[in-house]
Amino acid sequence: MALGTAIDQGEAPDYYFQKFPEDNPVLGFFTWRWVLTLGFDHMFSSPIFLGMLALLATSLMACTYTTQIPLVKVARRWNFLHSAEAIRKQEFSESLPKASVRDLGVVLMGAGYEVFLKGPSLYAFKGLAGRFAPIGVHLAMLLIMVGGTLSATGSFRGSVTVPQGLNFVMGDVLSPSGFLSTPTKAFDTEVHVNRFYMDYYDSGEVLQFHTDLSLFDLNGKEVMRKTISVNDPLRFDGITIYQTDWSFSALQIRKDDEGPFNLAMAPLKLNGDKKLFGTFLPVGDSDSPNVKGISMLARDLQSIVLYDKEGKFAGVRRPNSNLPIDIDGTRIVIEDAIGSSGLDLKTDPGVPIVYAGFGALMLTTCISYLSHTQIWALQDGTTVVIGGKTNRAKLEFPDEMNQLLDRVPELVESSLSKQSDAISG
Amino acid sequence: MIFSTLEHILTHISFSVVSIVITIHLITLLVDEIVGLSDSSEKGMIATFFCITGLLVTRWIYLGHFPLSDLYESLIFLSWSFSIIHIVPYFKKHKNHLSALTAPSAIFTQGFATSGLLTEMHQSEILVPALQSQWLMMHVSMMVLGYAALLCGSLLSVALLVITFRQDIRILCKNNHFLNKSFSFDEIQYMNKGNNVLQNTSFLSVRNYYRAQFIQQLDHWSYRVISLGFLFLTIGILSGAVWANEAWGSYWNWDPKETWAFITWTIFAIYLHTRTNKNLQVANSAIVASMGFLIIWICYFGVNLLGIGLHSYGSFTFSSNL
Repeated sequence: MALGTAIDQGEAPDYYFQKFPEDNPVLGFFTWRWVLTLGFDHMFSSPIFLGMLALLATSLMACTYTTQIPLVKVARRWNFLHSAEAIRKQEFSESLPKASVRDLGVVLMGAGYEVFLKGPSLYAFKGLAGRFAPIGVHLAMLLIMVGGTLSATGSFRGSVTVPQGLNFVMGDVLSPSGFLSTPTKAFDTEVHVNRFYMDYYDSGEVLQFHTDLSLFDLNGKEVMRKTISVNDPLRFDGITIYQTDWSFSALQIRKDDEGPFNLAMAPLKLNGDKKLFGTFLPVGDSDSPNVKGISMLARDLQSIVLYDKEGKFAGVRRPNSNLPIDIDGTRIVIEDAIGSSGLDLKTDPGVPIVYAGFGALMLTTCISYLSHTQIWALQDGTTVVIGGKTNRAKLEFPDEMNQLLDRVPELVESSLSKQSDAISG
Repeated sequence: MIFSTLEHILTHISFSVVSIVITIHLITLLVDEIVGLSDSSEKGMIATFFCITGLLVTRWIYLGHFPLSDLYESLIFLSWSFSIIHIVPYFKKHKNHLSALTAPSAIFTQGFATSGLLTEMHQSEILVPALQSQWLMMHVSMMVLGYAALLCGSLLSVALLVITFRQDIRILCKNNHFLNKSFSFDEIQYMNKGNNVLQNTSFLSVRNYYRAQFIQQLDHWSYRVISLGFLFLTIGILSGAVWANEAWGSYWNWDPKETWAFITWTIFAIYLHTRTNKNLQVANSAIVASMGFLIIWICYFGVNLLGIGLHSYGSFTFSSNL
């Protein structure tokens, strides 16, 4: 997995030819042949990795079966200890002279233990869930892996950038991910991008982008309409549409009162997440090789920066202002900035299973934090011998036990003999 | 403006209080215990806790969103978690071994956050669209709390290893000078006072008894803190996955940060499993936890330095105002 971070994933083979060349291998032997044959370029779906995941799954199942389940059987048995020796061998042991095992039982019940009394001996436990929970953890992990496998083999995924005003059919965009993927009726739905718009902070940064979508079925009837934004997807019949990206489709301008013309905006490469789009309006003879014109750049849909024939800055205009700008004798009015919405579509049958697995994992991990405490006691004449053990909170256990034992009443002489007769008789 | 000055004041107060607490600790360790100040470290950390809480609340009100959107804020949150971990045992009336760990950790993170290295980040950042979600609160806060607890636990294990193996090394190079190791149960770092003490077997065994008990306590505390941290980490990772599914359509993308969080989770799961086996219990599990310390830092910091992937808004560049 760590290699998957160190080696860039998913690039074209050429990238690896350059990074790990044969004539100058990294670490002396690591050439691109290693990377591609072992599948390091798609580490997380490579055979090695999938094999290791399968190994993890089998070891989880084996561990649960061989170790955990017998533990449950042992824990559930109310195993009474019948000899004072065995009790004294426990991690924590005490003897209470002049006490009755029944009083101890009452005190323990008050403290939340389940108490079982058989003649002179007592067995109490608390927090049995803490024993079961690790099994739950393993089962939850298996559930997640099953769900994940289902996702990997049975889902559909697709990405599309749709300019405002256009539409597409879901089935055209979604592509299957594995052999269990089967399309449903919902795939024939047509998605129409009614409007794409963005909100901005006062400082000019992008706050949020929204798309107003309408879904039409085969008969042309609108079945759903929703405005989606990032973190707020549209769900329809098992298919989910996410707002993930945006782009600039075209700039609508009027030139010298002619038009409107739609100039397509092209994305210009920049570092990081910042976007920049540009377009070009040729002035003069558009077929000559050194054609000059007016360039327009935009970072978002808010404002357009214009440059003249020589590349000098000419001005900034907002699309809704309709203010004209004169550049080299040409009058330009920017009418509208048409954006396109970047949408991701997905249908994934494994998600409910995986979510169930997640919930189970969280719950069982919480529960496995509980200590499972067991206490044995034996009435030995007038003395009660107590022993106990716990699996988690080991340091606090003696203090806790001592506090409980302090609450057991000390018996006075006359009732003592009656008690011991009653119990051992 | 008033908020940013308030923020400034609170940052500096918390930093100074923690440094005072550490100074008192060092004086106790090196020179002599000043009885009147024995409770001061607790009070000092509580004061720090309130300062940092105030800082976070101020930032929350000022920015309008939960203060956990970039590296600076997450570092403040981390030092806040350390101060919480410090004072929780105090309220449960347990002997506090963690104080020597959490206080320096808090000061280091706080110091790094406020230092000149991250001046760009001090300015309140606006929330990119992907972060505008309720999940932000749960996922990131759980992750940072988990990191804090796991860091404490793994540092305890490192301390355990140091104490265990230091003794062995000393026995190996036998001298007639035996260094007197004195323990006060509030300090994990022990001092060689350099006295020559004649070797006395019974004395040695008494010392060994205290050592063994101390190691056991360290082991136990390390186990408890790491279990708690593991729980938080699990919830954090899973809530992150659910959030990713809501925002981007897929709950696991093998993003570097996700992958390394998973590696961290696995290492600590291995730690918890080594403890079930009686033979491996103390020393080996401590070794695993110490590896976990490194891995957490890679996951938290190292991946951000790479600057790629879905978590890239956590990345930063070092710009110094030196």
